[in-house]
Amino acid sequence: MTAAGYALLALVVGLFLFDLATLGTRARRLLIVEGLLFAVGGFFIASPDSATWLAHQVGIGRGVDFVLYPVVIWLVRESLVNRHHRWAERERLSELVRTVAIDRAVSLPSGSEPGSFTSGSEPGPGDGVHGNGDSAGDPADAQSSGSSTSRTA
Amino acid sequence: MVWGRVRIAVLLPTFNEPALAATLASIRDQVAVEPTFDVTVFVVDDGSRVPVRRDALEELLRADRPGRFALVLARHRVNLGQGAALETARRLSLAHARPATPFDAYVTMDADGQHRAADLAALVGPLASGADVVFGNRFTGGTEIPRVRALVLRAARLLEWALTGLRLGDAHNGFRAFDERGIRAVQMHQRGMAHATEIRQEVARAGLVVAEAPVRVHYDEASLAKGQRSWGALAILRDILYKYLFAGVS
Repeated sequence: MTAAGYALLALVVGLFLFDLATLGTRARRLLIVEGLLFAVGGFFIASPDSATWLAHQVGIGRGVDFVLYPVVIWLVRESLVNRHHRWAERERLSELVRTVAIDRAVSLPSGSEPGSFTSGSEPGPGDGVHGNGDSAGDPADAQSSGSSTSRTA
Repeated sequence: MVWGRVRIAVLLPTFNEPALAATLASIRDQVAVEPTFDVTVFVVDDGSRVPVRRDALEELLRADRPGRFALVLARHRVNLGQGAALETARRLSLAHARPATPFDAYVTMDADGQHRAADLAALVGPLASGADVVFGNRFTGGTEIPRVRALVLRAARLLEWALTGLRLGDAHNGFRAFDERGIRAVQMHQRGMAHATEIRQEVARAGLVVAEAPVRVHYDEASLAKGQRSWGALAILRDILYKYLFAGVS
């Protein structure tokens, strides 16, 4: 085995040990899958000839290419699928945050209906007082009566 | 159609914006000098570090003599981005629009003071003569635009033309007015700055009647520093691509 082979093997083992230490008990199944994949990879690193033999069987020139082609294809797909999941996840988060915001929105002046000429009344006593000191600070938290919280139609 | 009374919903996202109170005060003062205006501002606090305080807004309302100025305040518990906050304001305003007295105009505006309440009448005007959407145009409004910014905007204008098929005099100007048909057509999925392009795509797709109105954009150091940088343009392209790839797949 060449020096590059030893270095790659060390990388594979090191990565696995790092994940084992940091993910440990939380992702046992993930680690088993990773360990199996790394074992296959490690075997081809340690024995390039067997990879080359396999590659020739299916008509690919070099053993390394035989391993790399599917890995790269898989990684590209994985990256796209991942981005899509993140996109969909954030879409859901936005809807959740938005719904909470709309449910807890307040109309000012208190008790007014927007878009009408009925505003101009004095705010009621106690309005505008931050009673509970909640630092998250929903507008609706700042009221004591709860009468002017607007709801979606 | 001539309006006797113009009911305007202003959609105003804000995030850690020190100029918010000044912007709201300028809208309120504009209402005082426009006898036909009846304005409700939908303020969406997009998870500002220091939440927008309700009592601070009530303080503003105490000086509202004509009584034609109202506010609705909502808050995102976490920061989502300007596009997401604008979409929340859009839904909020539609939820508040009652069949008997709908809003005549839905105006999107920046909270940092770069858009002037004095331009509201000019922006809303074309809606009365049949437009569904009015985009503010800073190039015809006498704005003094820094040279680099003007170049970037011209490039953006070409790009938006290519992406949306709408050929307009200005790009990514957040000062716009919609009638009800218009605002219902522009549901936004883009959380970040790409919503400006998304709005134009939706406008083109819905076949809305488009107009432009001259507005003056007020530039100062703060708004220039905060404005979109060249990196922002790349992020916008990326977001547009992602939506193209992923929207409707889930």
